[in-house]
Amino acid sequence: MQGALPVSLIPGDSVLHRVHPLPKMIWVVLYVVVAFMTQNIIVLYGMAVLALLLGVIGGVVKPLLKAAFIIVPIGSSLLALQLMAPAVEQPWTQIAQLGPITLYEDGLYYGLVLLGRIVACLLMALVVVMTTHPSDLFTTLAKLKVPYTLNFMMAMTLQLIPVFQREVGIILSAQKSRGMKGNGFQAVLPSFVPVFVGAIERVQQLSISLESRGFGSAGHKTSYRQVRGKASDWFLALLAIGVAALLGTVSILRGGWNISGLLVVEPATAVTVWVVSATVFLGIIALALILSFRKS
Amino acid sequence: MTDPIITFDNVTYTYPGTDTPALDSISFSVLPGEYVAVLGLNGAGKTTLGLCVNGVVPTMLGGELEGTVTVAGLEVGEYAVREMAKIVGMVFDNPEFQMSQLSAAEEIAVGLENAGVPYEDMIRIIPETLALVGLAGFEERSPLGLSGGQQQRLAIAAVLAMSPQILIMDEPTSNLDPIGKQEVFDMAARLNKEKGMTVIVIEHEVEVMARYADRVIVLNEGKVVLNGTPQDIFSRVDELAALNLRVPESAALSTLLASKGLWKGETPTRTESAVDAVNTLLEARRG
Amino acid sequence: MAKKSPLPTPAEARAASEHAIVVSDARYVYPNGKVVALNGVSVTVDHGELLGIIGQNGSGKTTLTKLLNGLLQPSSGTVVVNGIETTGRTVQEMSAHIGYVFQNPNHQLFARTVQAELEFGPTNIGIEGEELAERVARAVEFFGLKDVIDEHPYRVSFPIRKLVGIASIVTMEPSILILDEPSTGQDHQTTSIINNLMRKLAEQGTTVVCVSHDMPLLADVVERVIVMKDAQIIADASPREVFADKPLMARTNLQAPQITEIALQTVVPLGGPIALTPAELADDLGARLSSKG
Repeated sequence: MQGALPVSLIPGDSVLHRVHPLPKMIWVVLYVVVAFMTQNIIVLYGMAVLALLLGVIGGVVKPLLKAAFIIVPIGSSLLALQLMAPAVEQPWTQIAQLGPITLYEDGLYYGLVLLGRIVACLLMALVVVMTTHPSDLFTTLAKLKVPYTLNFMMAMTLQLIPVFQREVGIILSAQKSRGMKGNGFQAVLPSFVPVFVGAIERVQQLSISLESRGFGSAGHKTSYRQVRGKASDWFLALLAIGVAALLGTVSILRGGWNISGLLVVEPATAVTVWVVSATVFLGIIALALILSFRKS
Repeated sequence: MTDPIITFDNVTYTYPGTDTPALDSISFSVLPGEYVAVLGLNGAGKTTLGLCVNGVVPTMLGGELEGTVTVAGLEVGEYAVREMAKIVGMVFDNPEFQMSQLSAAEEIAVGLENAGVPYEDMIRIIPETLALVGLAGFEERSPLGLSGGQQQRLAIAAVLAMSPQILIMDEPTSNLDPIGKQEVFDMAARLNKEKGMTVIVIEHEVEVMARYADRVIVLNEGKVVLNGTPQDIFSRVDELAALNLRVPESAALSTLLASKGLWKGETPTRTESAVDAVNTLLEARRG
Repeated sequence: MAKKSPLPTPAEARAASEHAIVVSDARYVYPNGKVVALNGVSVTVDHGELLGIIGQNGSGKTTLTKLLNGLLQPSSGTVVVNGIETTGRTVQEMSAHIGYVFQNPNHQLFARTVQAELEFGPTNIGIEGEELAERVARAVEFFGLKDVIDEHPYRVSFPIRKLVGIASIVTMEPSILILDEPSTGQDHQTTSIINNLMRKLAEQGTTVVCVSHDMPLLADVVERVIVMKDAQIIADASPREVFADKPLMARTNLQAPQITEIALQTVVPLGGPIALTPAELADDLGARLSSKG
């Protein structure tokens, strides 16, 4: 039970699992940097495909796609809205008209850029989280001179999330058993106090327990968790940095490397994309609303 | 005459921001290898007593401490808790609240890492300690996925890894089901009898304490009011009742029978001795 | 799910129902379909009974209690509480009829004062004005909370908080009250207080169900105990009968009180009582040892 987070380590022994956490962390950072430096959809979706490939290598494709499902509501809303009101400088190029709604070509492209950024970074981050043991991650951070206590607190927070989920569940049951009506935020609010109190009690007791084991005191500390890096790990890191530098530079030199000029988009395409995204997006909202009212 | 391993010399302690002392002129000593039971109502000062032995009081919690606490020849106030952690291990009443790591092995490693124990030693000590508490093979298990009894044994392991001479357990079984309770009490008894560890158990389970303890100390409102063998302490049924404390039922029985003039021998502190004594009496009548 | 007709008041429902609780072949399977937490359980409890449910963690006792107040719905079979079938009813609807005191009072308490806590439950079920004030006053009297009525629930000591937790459900005046591990981790003094309260509540007519894994605790206060193991009820008898049943005790990892153990190995084979208290055994031995010879 590695925490009840929807996203966590998927145990395995793939090539990707065995790579040192630091190169993997570097990849994520590089992805974010490049993604925001470029507006080239080939680069962006290429990065996304690469991340997906890494997911295949790591043997985590199924959970990856499951966790990445969140892209569907985000993507659909993004495309639908961008088509109607592109987040770029005017003038916009109109491509189609649906009654009162005007769709713009710039919006289609830019929507795809924004979506591409999200997809690429999200997939890469997920792949890394799913193939890296949290403890190794924290050990790496410690080696990067992140303060011991801070590191420890982050590790502990990860541990405690499922605990608090459980506590909130119990508290809600208790309040329902006292006749408390209503769902949603108003129902959760009274549970904040008990969760808070529980958390304080827990932290108090834990700190005494840790103190009694000599925790956090000054002096030399050793590490149980040993993370070993292979030469190939560092090679990959350097390669990634190199490629990223290249892509980044080109993008900057080309002012974003926007290739929308090279694309020919039929009005029908734009309309289809808009209709599909809007339907998906509204559909998801409707479903969420129905579900939240149905829960007694 | 062996030197005591723990000595409290006229210790008075007041928590910061309070007026009434939590401990009031406490004096007693514990010999190495003794199994000491500390009894008293909630709020009598039992936890504070335990925390004085490893230095958390006053070093971590502040407040005013008068008098001296000496552990294994060291005056506790002079040493960092980190140093005391090598001599005194302490386990608390909520097993889950002592867990903080992602795996059992790492939980045990916390103390070792902070003590600067080399990696080569850690990879030997951790499996050994897990085996000692009956959790062999549990290295990669998540502490939060364990049962209460298992968590508590892991907490004990985390402390035993430092090879302390003294183990203090503060109401270790109050949050456990009967199976868990059994596991923890058996563990404590084994550590005491087989490894010669000095064990101090703060508890309400008087029947179990009567069975295992060499000595019983009773606290009330911060003072030591009784200090003696289980035999001695548990025969004082009225005194303990006045303090709102239970005696083992075997002792209550013998005291009631004694008041009717029917019981001559010692106060039985174990079920077996009570059964034997009663059956002897019954046979004598029949014979 | 269409809403069912509104429920009668607890008093009306109680008067109209033959038993307090009737569970008929109730089964509960976890949503993932894999774990059978309750495997065909049937039990009948009369109004005003004071009984205990005992079992290890995982025996099904928690699942059974959650079926009683509607936190869980049975996968099959029926649960009828105060004459009302729980199927399709919400926890909130059932809360007027059956109260559930959680083990950790901290999970219940969140208001600014003890007074507000005592008022929360009844307010939710539509009690207000004078009736509300009377109920709160009765609870304050019953639980001895006069001194802490204006205190913040988290400022009072833990044993008092436990009492506040129980009181805040009692003000809802349900016909049936479930207490989950009321005395676990408490010292002797608090345990006695809570045991007395349970007795008094039952005397006043509330059906009291005490869930615990501590047999000696239950033996002190209940007349009937339901023993659960492996998702089923394996015994439904008086504490004495359960203690005397050696194979049963061995199967369930339960421990009899020390005095009962002593009695079982001394006077019981001679026809003596399965003593639950030292006084009981002492009296019997007193009679035996002075009458003979």
